[in-house]
Amino acid sequence: MKEYTYEDIKIGMEEQFSSVVTKTMQENFRKLSGDTNPLHTDAKYAKTAGFKDKVVYGLLHTSLYSQLIGNYLPGKYCLLQKLEVKFRKPVYIGDKLKITGMVKEKQDNFSCLLIKGKIINEKQEIVSTANIMVKVMK
Amino acid sequence: MTVKEKLQEIFREVLELDDLEIYDEMTAQDVEGWDSLAQMELVITAEKEFHIKFTTKEISELKNVGEFIDMIEKNVIKR
Repeated sequence: MKEYTYEDIKIGMEEQFSSVVTKTMQENFRKLSGDTNPLHTDAKYAKTAGFKDKVVYGLLHTSLYSQLIGNYLPGKYCLLQKLEVKFRKPVYIGDKLKITGMVKEKQDNFSCLLIKGKIINEKQEIVSTANIMVKVMK
Repeated sequence: MTVKEKLQEIFREVLELDDLEIYDEMTAQDVEGWDSLAQMELVITAEKEFHIKFTTKEISELKNVGEFIDMIEKNVIKR
């Protein structure tokens, strides 16, 4: 886990990691969220709705932004203030995702960062983008 | 557009209250949703909109909307 302090962080700084979405993650998220919509649980239904398979929960893949800020940028001293996400492409079980965060702004009066987040799949398609505001507590 | 009118637009956008009418004596206690996160967003958005930068001291001494307007006007003149 990274332990960047507010002073360590520079505008333009970037961190990234990869993650594969598994069937277990999808099932665990269904139990956790209680969302049983067939788009996420029934491949046949998802196909009739125009997707190639069951769609991974948007908030499941979005949870990778939590890992981004909590473990990488800034890491240990992070406190999430605001998260705005745009979902651009569906994610499927087995997709290998690359999660990137880049420091766009620093707000010295509040020790806050605006981080531009991006998740891309193996086809280099952007599946989501995010504006993330975090406070750095040290 | 006056500073007050522009600030009112910022308050409406940040607090997601389309009909909000700000007044000089208004404080965070008078508006639902004006919490510490909203306060931060109000200040940051005002800095961007007016192309100014407040000091931490200025922000911490703010008591109401009237003082917020004064602080903006003072900084716009200094710019």
